[in-house]
Amino acid sequence: MRMLPAIILVFAFAAAGLVYLAGRVHPRLRDVLAVLSSLVLVGVIGYGHGKWDQLICVPDFLGVELSLRLNSLGWFFAVYIALINAGSIVFSLSYMKGKERLNFYYSMMLLVNAGMLGVVLSGDFLSFYIFWETMSWSTYLLISYKRGPALHAGMKYIVMSLVGSCAMLVGILSLHGHYGTLEIAQLGGLLAGASAGYIVFLLLTMGIAFGIKFAILPLHTWMPDAHSEAVSPFSAVLSGVLVRMGMYGFLLIMYSLVGVKTILELGRGAWDFHLLFSWLGALTIVIPTFIALLQDDAKRLLACHGIGQGGDLILGMAFGTSPGVAGGIFHTINHGSYIALLFLVVGAVEYRTGGVRDLNRLGGLMQRMPVAFLGCLVGIMGLIGIPLTNGFVSKWLIYKTLITEGRPFLAFMAFVGTWGTILSVYKLLHNMFLGQLPQEYSRVEKSPLSMQIPILFLCFVIFLFGILPGIPLRAIQGVQREMGFAPLELTLWGLASDVGALNMLNICVALVTAFAVVFLVMRVGPKGRRVAQDDSYAAGAYVPVDRYHHSVEFYNPLYRMISPYLKDRVDEFYYWIADRASGLFDIVRRMYTGYAGTYVLYIVAFLAFLILVQLVWQVW
Amino acid sequence: MTRIAQIVLSPLIAFVVGVLFLGLSRKIIARIHRRYGPPIYQPVIDMVRLMSQRSISHGALFELGVVLSVAGSFVTVLFIPLGGTEVSRELHPFAHGVLCPLCGSGGLLVVTYLMLFGPLGLALGAGASANPNASIGVSRKMLLAMAYEVPFLLVLLAVMSHYGTISFTEVVARQQQAGWGVLSVPLSAVAGFLILPAMLGIRPFDVATAPQEIASGPLAEYGGSYLALIAVQKAMHLFVVIALYVDLFLGGGVNLATFLLKMLAVFLAAEMINAVLPRLKIEDAVKFCWKWPTALALLQMIITVVSK
Amino acid sequence: MDRNQIAKWLKSPAKMANKYSLHAVYFCTGCGIIEIPPVITTRWDAERFGVLPVATPRQGNLFMITGYVSLKTLRAIIRTYEQMPDPKYTVGFGSCPINGGMYWDSYNTIKHLDKYIPVDGWIAGCMPRPEAVFIGVTHLWTLIDKGKADGYLRYKKNYAAYRRNQEMILRDIEWPPLYPVESKAEEVSV
Repeated sequence: MRMLPAIILVFAFAAAGLVYLAGRVHPRLRDVLAVLSSLVLVGVIGYGHGKWDQLICVPDFLGVELSLRLNSLGWFFAVYIALINAGSIVFSLSYMKGKERLNFYYSMMLLVNAGMLGVVLSGDFLSFYIFWETMSWSTYLLISYKRGPALHAGMKYIVMSLVGSCAMLVGILSLHGHYGTLEIAQLGGLLAGASAGYIVFLLLTMGIAFGIKFAILPLHTWMPDAHSEAVSPFSAVLSGVLVRMGMYGFLLIMYSLVGVKTILELGRGAWDFHLLFSWLGALTIVIPTFIALLQDDAKRLLACHGIGQGGDLILGMAFGTSPGVAGGIFHTINHGSYIALLFLVVGAVEYRTGGVRDLNRLGGLMQRMPVAFLGCLVGIMGLIGIPLTNGFVSKWLIYKTLITEGRPFLAFMAFVGTWGTILSVYKLLHNMFLGQLPQEYSRVEKSPLSMQIPILFLCFVIFLFGILPGIPLRAIQGVQREMGFAPLELTLWGLASDVGALNMLNICVALVTAFAVVFLVMRVGPKGRRVAQDDSYAAGAYVPVDRYHHSVEFYNPLYRMISPYLKDRVDEFYYWIADRASGLFDIVRRMYTGYAGTYVLYIVAFLAFLILVQLVWQVW
Repeated sequence: MTRIAQIVLSPLIAFVVGVLFLGLSRKIIARIHRRYGPPIYQPVIDMVRLMSQRSISHGALFELGVVLSVAGSFVTVLFIPLGGTEVSRELHPFAHGVLCPLCGSGGLLVVTYLMLFGPLGLALGAGASANPNASIGVSRKMLLAMAYEVPFLLVLLAVMSHYGTISFTEVVARQQQAGWGVLSVPLSAVAGFLILPAMLGIRPFDVATAPQEIASGPLAEYGGSYLALIAVQKAMHLFVVIALYVDLFLGGGVNLATFLLKMLAVFLAAEMINAVLPRLKIEDAVKFCWKWPTALALLQMIITVVSK
Repeated sequence: MDRNQIAKWLKSPAKMANKYSLHAVYFCTGCGIIEIPPVITTRWDAERFGVLPVATPRQGNLFMITGYVSLKTLRAIIRTYEQMPDPKYTVGFGSCPINGGMYWDSYNTIKHLDKYIPVDGWIAGCMPRPEAVFIGVTHLWTLIDKGKADGYLRYKKNYAAYRRNQEMILRDIEWPPLYPVESKAEEVSV
């Protein structure tokens, strides 16, 4: 099936347009079409597994040929993009009911989907750039969908994204200038003989673009605002998939283009490129995770975690060893699954409580929304990396790499990040679902079915990939072979190796057996009498209604200790630059006075200048 | 010994020794206070009494949280070598093979992550009890965990880098060949001992379960059979942490008896600290753990990395 | 003490365990509480009897009313008693719970505590010395052995009467009845 990538892309773009038109006809038709097309896309991409090929679409476009290709890395990312998008669209069916401009919303969701698929299916850098830009501006349109503060967040995002795209364009043009071709497969071979300086330049320019998308530390400031102001189903896509496009870009240039050996040797003395990159990743893990501890807005908290986990991915990827890269790629889909799950859960809570996502006001919703609670619990277990979830296996791979490569300080930063994650996601779970239920939410209903389906499906995926990690890891083995790594030694449920093995099935069986045994022991004693939440210990008094819930300033002692150190100085720096620049532009604006006499003065002065030049230097 | 026998025996040994240590702790503290104290089997009496009481429940998560934390502690024991040696079996008359049923399924990283089940289960159950004392207790417990994890991770990583492996049996075997951990990574051993009371949740770091301040924190609404299981979890956690310390720094043991004797020595030292010190506030506990133990552990890690 | 007799343990472990593990809810009623810290600290070590103070009623099975009971305190006592798990034992400590003691003609104190919660035993004195506490504890053991320390069973059986007495003296009770109460309860004197 040579035409498969083209078919996928045509179908994706056509679906976006058709959904808009269908919305004009009838809203129900649009809903059905949106869900069907996203699910059909998943199926078609899944069908394409193993049929790796390259396809030339346009032989001569401005002197470059545009091509599409399907290889294992692209397929892996494409399946994952399509799945999370499908889940979000199903979720939006109830979340967006009754909101305005829904035709625009659904067609934009599908357009973002199509743009991302184009990015991972493109075979040369020009089509990569075209699809990357499509993805960027459709994301901007969706982020600012809600108007109000979302406009500012969207503006921040698009400005930074454009800066990145310009940097990427510089890199692409330099590649064309040096080698005359932009095809990725050919460039891989041609770059083997390049000088170290050129490779660093290339990595830097492309790295800025991918880093902005990926939200690494100095380039992350758009992310918390964008994620909290976008609508929740789109936040799930944004955080789960969009930022991982940066990961795809990094993998592409670092391993498919530049190559493993060159990356590992790139450096001067003690300053290795991959070491510096990993330290950037380590800082990205620690600092945003602790900033997340201080947040009171549920979506900002999750957004800061999205930034933090990106650091984990960099740590896995930057080392160029087989388990590290496998861990990084595996962690990409794992992170996507649980952060999308958590955003969907927060969206469900928002929907039922009328838009409330302030953690200081919620509480006790476990009694009213059990499926959402289950989703949140599984999501935070995955985010922390509890054994039996997929996050544990990918983190195990990354940490093992760090320790066996002799980098304990980086492993320490990663572990500290994990512990910061544990603290802040427990606060998320506790303030939303545990504790006492306030009176104003005592009539909240369960989440609707179309929200429960993606939540339950993602929980299932998290546990399936946690207990039987061999399923996705086998696909990753194919990716590793393509990139020139030795594939991991796998079984369906674990990894065998000489410096430490992992067998998830044993752990799972042991835990389940222990759970059953302890449960039976507990049942030996008399069963507890079920009491309401107001029959709680209150030192002999009756529980004061609505005033007996501890959620504000949940980690107060730690706040006082660390909040002076955790201001987002990078954000302040960018705002400072923006202020200075707008001051400069203000000065330049004064050139246009609106008074015709000034313009005549400008013309006369310019002519005088020309006469002066002619008299002195006799140019003409 | 077959694998199944080991899988049944390890948690049983851990349970018996853990409960014995709980009773022993009350007796030792009493004797240090110059009074008689309860008999050593008093925790057993307490647990039987608790199992006979009919308490209250706040829902499914309230009960399942406790079950999860106890189950997690039991499973952690299966991954820790409890004495025995492969290395020098000819030299010692009573040596046997390493007693660690699931060591081949996961090493130190898995143990570190499995140790998360205990506090997590209890935190879920305490959250379900809808009591602010429980929530404050859990927040303090999490902060205390953050406090001691920073030096503990440095200690663990120094040991793992020194021996170049993440497999637990490998670490113990190398110590039995080349000398105990206290001699190879001494500053880490000292830092590990300084944070041992924080990991065990005994004074001066028992702020999470302070009966006088926050009505037992996470245990505020637990009674009856649930409280008995929480006492079991406390015993298992005690066992796991001290076994971890002995395996990392005191070379495990050539057989189970030597291993338990070493554990007793470490336990006595920790209990003597417990008996005489008052309780630190949570801010002071965090500041302490992030000061000297972290400094020592960091120094040791720098030395280990530089000398490799 | 028959703590070491294994046969008795094997016959009825719950009864023996309830005897030798009496955890007292640390509820400080009135002036009598000043006698409890010496009882539980080093000089008159109560821990060797198995008696420990616990912070919440959910964890305890012994409730000592250690002094005079005003109306406000009665509310807290009833709430605390109802939050304790069964089986539980109540001991009136000092003269005030017995018959009003020093405050026998006050307008604000309760003269007969066992109209509102069931009491298993009394320790007379104003205040009783720590040795009297231990005599009371050992006497409670004997009562538990013989099955006569059944305050919690009496509470369940005659709950309607207890609740009526409580409502009469406290006027408004915020918490619902612990056991189901029929609307018309017959007059049962306790």
